[in-house]
Amino acid sequence: MNDTVQIIRVDETQWQALSDDVVVGEADLSRRPDGRRFVSIDVWDDAAFAPLATAMLAALPAPLHTLVAGEDTESAARWGRAGFVAERREWEYVLPTAVADPRPAPGVTVLPAGTADEAELRLLDREIRAEVEAASGWHTMPAEVRPGPPGDTLIDPSLYAVAVHEGRYAGLIRVVRARGRGPARIGLLAVRAAHQRHGLGRSLLAHALHALHETGTTSARAEVDWSRTAATTLLEDFGAERTGHLLHLVHP
Amino acid sequence: MPRVSKGLELEGTVLECLRNATFKVELQNGHHVLAHISGKIRKNYIKILPFDRVLVELSPYDLTRGRIMYRYRN
Repeated sequence: MNDTVQIIRVDETQWQALSDDVVVGEADLSRRPDGRRFVSIDVWDDAAFAPLATAMLAALPAPLHTLVAGEDTESAARWGRAGFVAERREWEYVLPTAVADPRPAPGVTVLPAGTADEAELRLLDREIRAEVEAASGWHTMPAEVRPGPPGDTLIDPSLYAVAVHEGRYAGLIRVVRARGRGPARIGLLAVRAAHQRHGLGRSLLAHALHALHETGTTSARAEVDWSRTAATTLLEDFGAERTGHLLHLVHP
Repeated sequence: MPRVSKGLELEGTVLECLRNATFKVELQNGHHVLAHISGKIRKNYIKILPFDRVLVELSPYDLTRGRIMYRYRN
């Protein structure tokens, strides 16, 4: 590679690093619906990374976000040298759907997906999201959170199973089945703060995995903030195996 | 705008998820390559799984390696 890397801005969201008229690196910007800016840099030559980062940082307002594989320490180090710091780490899990005992905990009833009262389910979802927003907040989620109509955060009620505890809707789990042969995805598992530590999360997960198993899906995947030890312990109790981890970095 | 050339892009199917966030991909021409997920699709929180059909850009320095640029809807 030539010693000189030339950086060009292709358009509002793309930069290229050129060496001898060959593209040796590209940088890209995506805007999330919630306003966050996520950037990426892909290079075939290490020497192209720093000038691409410099050009992009000079052109874009802070904060900027990026995601890298946690195992890719080299990439994380490059972003670190560009001024990015860790915001959150997620474990990526795959779970078997065979469950020894799918029965819910005493005092807990699980309503299968598609059977919950929609108005009560929407109320529960809003309550849970308000609790999360008041604590860590959805802004730390590296996944894209699509805003719905005002006051409505639940797009497809048929995907949710609900845990009823002490006579009210208190927890939910959202499972999306794969179209092909792949694993299902557990997109959300949440229990209202006042109802935690009563086995609702375990009951919901057991129910969801068993329902998948009954219909021939052998595995499910999930991502968990690795600082949430209760959640990681719950998944691992069901035989979940870590398949990787994701590092969310921010340039403040 | 300078005249530029980009790497070779080929479609393939993910055979296996390996350690260190790499994947074994079988290209349409039958060749196998080791590929990692491009930052461009990782930043959009797209997960790659076995059997996914993907577009791979081959490294200009090593044609047995590449990066996954796009995941097709199965």
